[in-house]
Amino acid sequence: MFVSTGPCNAMARPVFGRVRPAGEAGSTRVTHLDRDRALVEEARRDPSSFDALYRRYLAQVYSYAYYELGDHHDAEDATERTFLAALANLDRFEERARPADGEGASTFRVWLFRIARNVVANQRRGRRRHPQAPIETAALVADPLDIEASAAVHDEAAAAWRAVGRLPADRRRAVVLRFVEEMSTAEIAGVLGRSEGAVRVLIHRALRTVAHDLGRGGGRSR
Amino acid sequence: MTVFERDGSEVEALLTDRYLERVLARATGGPSNGPVDPLLDPVLRDATEQLRRDLVRVHPSFRFEERLASRLADAAAAMRMPAAVGAEGGIVQIGALGGSLDRDDNAYLFDDDELDRRDLSRPLLIGGALTSAAISLAGAAWVAWRRGRPTRGSAMVRAARAVHEARVAAAHAGPFD
Repeated sequence: MFVSTGPCNAMARPVFGRVRPAGEAGSTRVTHLDRDRALVEEARRDPSSFDALYRRYLAQVYSYAYYELGDHHDAEDATERTFLAALANLDRFEERARPADGEGASTFRVWLFRIARNVVANQRRGRRRHPQAPIETAALVADPLDIEASAAVHDEAAAAWRAVGRLPADRRRAVVLRFVEEMSTAEIAGVLGRSEGAVRVLIHRALRTVAHDLGRGGGRSR
Repeated sequence: MTVFERDGSEVEALLTDRYLERVLARATGGPSNGPVDPLLDPVLRDATEQLRRDLVRVHPSFRFEERLASRLADAAAAMRMPAAVGAEGGIVQIGALGGSLDRDDNAYLFDDDELDRRDLSRPLLIGGALTSAAISLAGAAWVAWRRGRPTRGSAMVRAARAVHEARVAAAHAGPFD
């Protein structure tokens, strides 16, 4: 089964809704309407249907692993482990939000990225290797026919990648999840196991550091 | 807690978060109009814009995508097999890069504390390798000792050896001797 995933940076945002249950006047509870619910249920009934979830999130998981590991082969390895683990343990996925995950953050995507995060962390620990910013990818955003513009964009992008690569691990992960995966603060909180406020502060401090590294901060990074 | 009760850093983080929401919404065609909060540091705005532009999503190769899809399909088929034949089969393990996807082995995937606790030195593996090497060395030493000290053997062995030597001598003598 194939499901079109849309453009490269198409967001896979979950849908959140607040409902007021009958008989509970004055109190609201958050009900999470996971956009992947139907696909997850189908995959639980028939594991071969997992392909749709795989196609939807392949680029995101791979991208995250690539930014974290800095190598295509390592990223492929991590991606493969992530999806095989997700398929084998799909029955362990619970859509119900946990307080520690933040408001309504328990989506399939959050769950999948928690697996990816641990796979990548395990891989990094095992190899004790520092990530290297894969700067060649930055050339993708430039027009290949405009050599001058391409070089300028390449340099700027490389600088940005290097600056992000130098961030402490938790800030780097938060930035990658925010900018590359376009996750909401609640989702990132779910993936990283932090509060939403902590994630906001992580990203804010990361931006200050990056700005300082790029020569824009005026010494205010922390 | 009101915004004014928070410390300056948290307020700035909140403003940055709002700005980020708008920037990301703009990329996906969502609502992004409206004035930018004047309290937000322009330095943060510039950094946000640059990261938004330069941190692109990276796609894997088509070859890898199809290879993994095929592997997942195989794994999915293996998961379905027991039910298809009446569930009389055992538990099907899905191989993961040479290992198994046993839940205990992969507890770190779902438990962050387990990931921290996990000892990556693999003492069991090293212990097994050492034991195997010790057994190999002991075997080699025994063979060497046996070769250095050939025994005469039992009466039956001696008789068999005598018959064998007589046959060999006869064969060497040839039919024209």
